Amino acid sequence: MAQTEKKAGLLRRTSSSKKPLKEKVVLMYDEIFAKEDPTKNNPRFWDELFLMKVNLEYLEGKLESLDGDEVMKIKDNINSLFHHCVQALGEEHQIKVVNALQTLCALFRGVHQKNKSATGFDIINMLMGFDKAELRMKELMESLDSLLCGDGSESLKSLCLKLLLCLVTVTDNISQNTILEYVMINSIFEAILQILSDVSSRAQHGYDAVVLLALLVNYRKYESVNPYIVKLSIVDDEPTLDGMGMVIHHALTEYNRQYKDKEEENQGGFFSTLTSMVGSMFIADADEKLSVQTNEAILLALYEAVHLNRNFITVLAQSHPEIDMATTPATPVPASPTTPLSTTPPSLDMMNNPELPLDPNLQTSNLLITFLKYSSIVMQDTKDEHRLNSARLCLIILTCIAEDQYADAFLHDDNMNFRVNLHRMPMRHRKKAADKNIPSRPLVCAVLDLMVEFIITHMMKEFPMDLYVRCIQIIHKLICYQKKCRVRMHYTWRELWSALINLLKFLLSNETILLAKHNIFQLALQVVNLFNMFITYGDTFLPTPSSYDELYYEIIRMHQVFDNLYCMVLRVSTNAGQWKEPASKVTHALVNVRAIINHFNPKIESYAAVNHISQLSEDQVLEVVRSNYDTLTLKLQDGLDQFERYSEQPREAGFFKELVRSISLNVRKNVSLSTMSQDVLLKEFSSIS
Amino acid sequence: MGDTELELSPAQLEELQQSPSASSNSSTSSLSLPSSPSSGTRPLTSSSPSTSEGLPTSSPPLDVISEGVGELSLVIDTEVAKKACQEVLQKVKFLKADGEVSSASSEPVLVNGTAHPESTDGGKPPKISQEEAEPVKNVRRRQKNNSSKQSWLLRLFESKLFDISMAISYLYNSKEPGVQAYIGNRLFSFRNEEVDFYLPQLLNMYIHMDEDVGDAIKPYVVYRCRQSINFSLQCAWLLGAYSSDMHISTQRHSRGTKLRKLILSDELKPSSQRIRREVPQPPPSCPPPLHHGQGMSEHSLSPSKRTHQRSKSDATVSISLSSNLKRTASNPKVETSQDEDLSSSSDSLTLEAGTPVRLTPQREFIKSLMGIGKRLATLPTKEQKTQRLISELSLLNHKLPARVWLPTAAFDHHVVRVPHTQAVVLNSKDKAPYLIYVEVLECENFETSSVPVRIPETRIRSTRSVENLPDCGITPDQRASSFSTVPNYDNDDEAWSVDDIGELQVELPEIHTNSYDNISQFSVDSITSQESKEPIFIAAGDIRRRLSEQLAHTPTTFKRDPEDPSAVALKEPWQEKVRRIREGSPYGHLPNWRLLSVIVKCGDDLRQELLAYQVLKQLQIIWEQERVPLWIKPYKILVISSDSGMIEPVVNAVSIHQVKKQSQLLLLDYFRQEHGDYNTEEFLTAQRNFVQSCAGYCLICYLLQVKDRHNGNILLDSEGHIIHIDFGFILSSSPRNLGFETSAFKLTSEFVDVMGGLDGDMFNYYKMLMLQGLIAARKHMEKVIQIVEIMQQGSQLPCFHGSSTIRNLKERFHMNLTEEQLQVLVEQMVDGSMRSITTKLYDGFQYLTNGIM
Repeated sequence: MAQTEKKAGLLRRTSSSKKPLKEKVVLMYDEIFAKEDPTKNNPRFWDELFLMKVNLEYLEGKLESLDGDEVMKIKDNINSLFHHCVQALGEEHQIKVVNALQTLCALFRGVHQKNKSATGFDIINMLMGFDKAELRMKELMESLDSLLCGDGSESLKSLCLKLLLCLVTVTDNISQNTILEYVMINSIFEAILQILSDVSSRAQHGYDAVVLLALLVNYRKYESVNPYIVKLSIVDDEPTLDGMGMVIHHALTEYNRQYKDKEEENQGGFFSTLTSMVGSMFIADADEKLSVQTNEAILLALYEAVHLNRNFITVLAQSHPEIDMATTPATPVPASPTTPLSTTPPSLDMMNNPELPLDPNLQTSNLLITFLKYSSIVMQDTKDEHRLNSARLCLIILTCIAEDQYADAFLHDDNMNFRVNLHRMPMRHRKKAADKNIPSRPLVCAVLDLMVEFIITHMMKEFPMDLYVRCIQIIHKLICYQKKCRVRMHYTWRELWSALINLLKFLLSNETILLAKHNIFQLALQVVNLFNMFITYGDTFLPTPSSYDELYYEIIRMHQVFDNLYCMVLRVSTNAGQWKEPASKVTHALVNVRAIINHFNPKIESYAAVNHISQLSEDQVLEVVRSNYDTLTLKLQDGLDQFERYSEQPREAGFFKELVRSISLNVRKNVSLSTMSQDVLLKEFSSIS
Repeated sequence: MGDTELELSPAQLEELQQSPSASSNSSTSSLSLPSSPSSGTRPLTSSSPSTSEGLPTSSPPLDVISEGVGELSLVIDTEVAKKACQEVLQKVKFLKADGEVSSASSEPVLVNGTAHPESTDGGKPPKISQEEAEPVKNVRRRQKNNSSKQSWLLRLFESKLFDISMAISYLYNSKEPGVQAYIGNRLFSFRNEEVDFYLPQLLNMYIHMDEDVGDAIKPYVVYRCRQSINFSLQCAWLLGAYSSDMHISTQRHSRGTKLRKLILSDELKPSSQRIRREVPQPPPSCPPPLHHGQGMSEHSLSPSKRTHQRSKSDATVSISLSSNLKRTASNPKVETSQDEDLSSSSDSLTLEAGTPVRLTPQREFIKSLMGIGKRLATLPTKEQKTQRLISELSLLNHKLPARVWLPTAAFDHHVVRVPHTQAVVLNSKDKAPYLIYVEVLECENFETSSVPVRIPETRIRSTRSVENLPDCGITPDQRASSFSTVPNYDNDDEAWSVDDIGELQVELPEIHTNSYDNISQFSVDSITSQESKEPIFIAAGDIRRRLSEQLAHTPTTFKRDPEDPSAVALKEPWQEKVRRIREGSPYGHLPNWRLLSVIVKCGDDLRQELLAYQVLKQLQIIWEQERVPLWIKPYKILVISSDSGMIEPVVNAVSIHQVKKQSQLLLLDYFRQEHGDYNTEEFLTAQRNFVQSCAGYCLICYLLQVKDRHNGNILLDSEGHIIHIDFGFILSSSPRNLGFETSAFKLTSEFVDVMGGLDGDMFNYYKMLMLQGLIAARKHMEKVIQIVEIMQQGSQLPCFHGSSTIRNLKERFHMNLTEEQLQVLVEQMVDGSMRSITTKLYDGFQYLTNGIM
């Protein structure tokens, strides 16, 4: 038969070293693929099958090799296999459960690899049969749910999650995965939540659970009602949300730590190489999993949580001790024995377990701080497309945070001061800031620092226009909050002003290159309007009267940039063309800045002339500014303190589609690896059962 | 209550006065006094309600203090009465030898006496159950023979002037088991609050005095423990703290330890029968009062499901619920309700599930607060401590609301939230005391009222909940039929835009809008300007001016100092803080919302503080009674063990050290800055407050020999009062025995300046107040001495160091001096303190060693 030949060839190719052929399970697989009902000869066929060690490669290869017609011929047997897999999940014998899970995994994958062109309906028909599909999937999901929520083995739970991840990522585009429709109907959302709410299970499976959830939420996000979106948006159980936050926190922290290690390694030093050597002993194969792409999955989860669930915002501010000490073993989700927030009877653990480890060197941290640090690393280099996407997602998350009233409240909370060591790109013209000297400040200062850092480090040829726009929007949203609530931050606004002015300068000097690709007037307008915010509403949020003077000083000092900008936009707006409209908006926005320059410059010159000083000192200029306010009239502009709220649909839909696709690919790759290593698992069970 | 004597009829007076002499004349004469059962019970039943209710109002106070001295000799002093009683008791003892059996008569009186208040007092303290009364009865049986001659003493006990203070005094001084047993019973007739004040004394006697006293006290303690969780815990904590000075081997088997174990084992539950009769539980179906709150309607829809009633009887329910948590398979049809179950049952798990014991939640609460303190102490910097404190408290928040409360509060409540970001670490060199604010909901009775429902932190943002989501009402079945293509529901504008500040305003009470209405004056402007295309011009000068004006108009606040984080927190006016926290709290909209604060001290012995509190409170009562306008502020102390406890913070007060450091002003100039210039009403009021409080505390400092008086230990409140805190060095102890602070009290020239200088009227007023205060205190010296004396029993506290503590204390009341001589004494003390360079020297010393100005 052609099939046997194929099989032989396949085996020779893949496992030439193993003892050839005639593995019992392989024989049984062959029976399944042989059109006849395998129980005809052996009534206990199915019972026996699940006692055999699964040969994933063979099974997958077999399915892969079938073409459409052949499949239809053995459809009944495959349906039967699927059916018995599902039934086996309810078995007491754990070996059977493990084998059934793996067989299912192979089935899903094998069918999809083969039928790339086939529609989802065909696949469903092939696996389960149209008439039975609904029932089978219901049984499957219920079995998985009870396995995940039961007291059973942790390895089993892990395998269940792998199967689900496998199922979710079999197609490149998650929305084309028709089988997921049944996962929508038979929700395992509660099981995922339960894993996240329990300390021990969270430590072991949290990562997979969070990634799974993030992916499920993105199934047909824009076309249909996804119950996972609905459910995620209304979760208000704090231990669960905290658990989710912890998982994300761990993953991001781990990334930060590895980055730091690598950085130190590059800087050389005996100690750092030693620690990284020791570290790599622990990391070993986990290293692969922590590539940037995997973190995109975690970042996506963070985004969905922040975007969909309003209660999750509180989790951001939930303090944890910082865990990025070099000694932490580096599993993707380090199982910390001291994880706080247990749901085990806290009445007992409130005191008995010291909840947070006692180490005077530990800085208290929270998810937001970790996220800011992570962002500062990711934003450093946006040339790589993955990193660019990550940076964009970071900025989107920050946008959501900046829009949130509660988040703003704790960002600006004067009582919650933190030192946030952001990573700064080493640049020639500036020294690496001494980390230790960063004062403890409200968190909004760290956000603003991060934005300023981004602005001054990305003025390059490959101008990340989109990121800049988001960055300025975030600043604008924060200032709007401050104005509304009259929060006066003691922030060194001057750094922001000069960064913004430098950005304008960059736009001006690269006008022709940039204009070919981007609408730079939109960005320029945003920047000028930020200045307008300071000029007209400064009284509501600036910390001191002198900071208002400094604003004027900075504008006057850099007046040439504004003058040039005005010339440029005036030129463009007088010419007919696609930029006429946006450029003329900038001309109007510049009215107050120009009024300030035109008002004070003559005054300063005459002051210099009167006092016979060629170069005025800062104090002298400030003196002139202070004494000449009253003769200056400003024009009130419309809608400075209004902003468009973030909305994912339709603007960001494309981005997220692509992002989810890349995450799916990556997860699929990693899951397949780890599923194979589940052989170890099998051994564990064969000994205990 | 020394004044009630006036109410006694002259005859009664005479009778009582004569009795000592009478008894000395003939031992048998006392027998002739009426002491039949019938006559004995009558006065008791009639008097006990009046002692508990009538006293404070019915007593006509003395008009002028100066007259008081003269009157002292006329009325019966407790001292005199006591002496008389002792003499009689002495006689009784002699008679014991004779074996004269005369009075089974007084015996029934006693027993009846305890039973009677039940009917008169509205059934509050009912009859003692058999086993409780037993020890007393045993004693009585033993004493039956010799208690015969006490009938006239009984009359004193039954008279209106017999108050709790006297009861404690007799309990302590009497060596007569019969008398002790009687008073043990008599305790039931006093109001709970009256006895509570003397709880440390009672328990210290129980621990350290002989068995008879203990036996007399125990039934009362046991009875009260059954009644109240709060009382049980207070007793347990005090018993532990006051037993700690015993040798470890004796301690283990001591009575105090045993009683403590009994209480903590929680065997002293109210019998179910009693609870039903006394505190009828609200029917479980009736929704708890806080459900009136808006936005909570969805919770109250299913009260039975949510089981937030965490009383003991409901604990079982919550357990069964938590077992529901373990679902066997997901049933899509009940998903939403499961979701609720999940959250609620994990909620109720928090403090109930494992051990449905009635004392447990509160004990765990206190324990975790102490645990935080211990862990904070290991951190090196204030900043780290503060951050850690905030994060620890945020974890604690997860377990709230629960059936826990702050024992320092005066009303029943449940703790619902700790606004963790408001907590501050206080200044202390090596310990880590911290101040937390606690949001509570007032309730009828914390034991029976249901625990409030948890409201998530982001209550404001619940827009996207089930009801509001356009399509989530679709059941799985419906979904299945319509396989795909449902119109896009993710209309972000609709689901998201309605919220934040706008909504915040709507949801919160009117206070909120006030603070916001002037914020968006420009946005309003900008909207109008949109309509009329007329450009609006503003002057840059106006913006600048507004900025500086607004900064100037904000009330004087302290600058944030990482080394002194508490300064800012304490300076903020209490009302403002309450308002601010209420706005930010998800529970803030509830009408019974209250804010409390408490200082948690870990690693400090607060027993001396408690003693000082009692003395201060007693003196405050005395001065109030005698109408001396001295002002002191005793702050409540909760002793939890010999090295931990809680303190009720004085609100609206910062230490003089903080005042001086932050303002860099002299005290007088600071007064002018805060209250206005001389001769303004505000300033004068503040000055008067300053003088009255200063005089009060000078007396306290003198009488109690309070040491370690640097500016960090003296607070200044927003009304100008000074308040002394930290009574770690009183009576016989002084810091490091350096012999500093030899002056009677602390009076610096800055203080005198605030009073208007040495020649001012206010300074004379100050001295006069001191004199009046001293005279009044002297009049009631016994009440003060007694508090201290009883606590000395078995105590190793440094304030009792040496043998002469009590004698010296008594001497400082100067019973032998005339009023004129007292006046001279006061003058001398003021003079001495003013001139004393040691005060100045000590401040300098503190500045050098602790950085306190």
